Amino acid sequence: MTRRVLAIAAVIVTALLLQSTVFASLRLLGVRPEFLYLVTIVVAFLEGPNEGAVIGFVSGLAQDLVLNEPKGILALTLTLLGYTMGMLRQYIVSPSPFLPVMLVGLGTVAGVTFHVVVSFLLGNYDNTIAFAVRVALLSALYNAILTPLVFPILRRVFEGSRPRRVVRF
Amino acid sequence: MAIRPRPRSTRLLVVTLVSVSLAIITLDYRGGTTGPLAGLGRVAKAAIAPMQEAVTSVTRPVGNFFSGVANLPSLAEENRQLKEELAETRAIAVGAQRDASENEELRDLLGLQDIRGGVPALVIGNGVSNFDWTITIDKGASDGIANDMPVVAGSPEAARLVGKVIDVTADSAEVQLILDPDHAAAAEIAGTPAVGVIKGRGDQDLVMEDVDPDLSEMLGGDDNVFTLGYVVDGQPGVYPSGLLIGQISRVAPEPNSLQLPIEIRPAVDFTTLNAVLVLQPTTRRDVAGSTTP
Repeated sequence: MTRRVLAIAAVIVTALLLQSTVFASLRLLGVRPEFLYLVTIVVAFLEGPNEGAVIGFVSGLAQDLVLNEPKGILALTLTLLGYTMGMLRQYIVSPSPFLPVMLVGLGTVAGVTFHVVVSFLLGNYDNTIAFAVRVALLSALYNAILTPLVFPILRRVFEGSRPRRVVRF
Repeated sequence: MAIRPRPRSTRLLVVTLVSVSLAIITLDYRGGTTGPLAGLGRVAKAAIAPMQEAVTSVTRPVGNFFSGVANLPSLAEENRQLKEELAETRAIAVGAQRDASENEELRDLLGLQDIRGGVPALVIGNGVSNFDWTITIDKGASDGIANDMPVVAGSPEAARLVGKVIDVTADSAEVQLILDPDHAAAAEIAGTPAVGVIKGRGDQDLVMEDVDPDLSEMLGGDDNVFTLGYVVDGQPGVYPSGLLIGQISRVAPEPNSLQLPIEIRPAVDFTTLNAVLVLQPTTRRDVAGSTTP
């Protein structure tokens, strides 16, 4: 269990660091990826809605803390995103290797849109709708492109840290 | 956990987490910048800053390489333009030298403080979200940095405005860029009586508002725009006069409008910004008596 908590913490800190350093200069048409959305969706896909909601909440809160926006909005967004993606996964029976890529793309669009809407309702969004749409679509595309790189790493991390005594079937 | 989770406990978990998120949003709204969550945020920023510094020092050359490759097609053209501009600038510089010495004499006569020095700092991180126009620098309260200090690029004599400090930890500080839609500053257009307020628009050019539309004929493309110092109730504004903000990229007069929207291209290239200078109040010019540059 301790290993698992450490693994999750390491994944979230790494994602935050990459997002704020390397990918600030590696932008796709001016937009950077949304790493914590990507991590949340992939974990929900691998581990189910429980884990998805928890890692969504924790990573959302982590990013909220270093942002100057009202804290909690991203925690709310990613909790719901992780839960929804985890639930959705249970109803999809497709062996396609592109399934994670598709889910990450769609999930990021939905998540960013939800985040913008909540920020707007709280009087905290002061940009144009066109910009929000552009960020939602491009960050989703960027996240989808990064999925084949990130997915195997996260799968290794989470399978390696899974409790041993559990019966699997 | 690999066993199929029971739906009821999952739902309970999600409802709990959502409620906690909502509670956090409410608490943070009520607490503002002094609340417990803002304090927790500063702890998190202080913890992540050394790691950002380490990652940035390793990856900066790589990042510079990639942005260099991305800009390669436009570089040749830019090079040619810059050479032409350099020749022009050399001619102007000769005249400027004469003006500068004259300026210095006059300044001495008036007893004005000049902007001299400041705290140099390295950029160690950019904001984490696509909707966040901030940078993190590697100097903080222990180096004398405090909220609302102006941050510039370039030398103190030819300062180009970057933004202002909005949050400080012991060894790092967060700077709000002039691109941020929440950022506004008083500005004047060099060589004209036009004054107004510049506001950020994210990744688009800045916009200058509240300019008298009657002045539209006097304004041209590439006019320089500088910060305008002011004093309200004995309190000076955040920025001293004379920091270069950028050049006019578009003037869009609207018939019968009381406003003249002007777009301004920032003088700083924020994508390649590596080092900045934080101006401290003791090094700031006495804005009350400042003159138009």
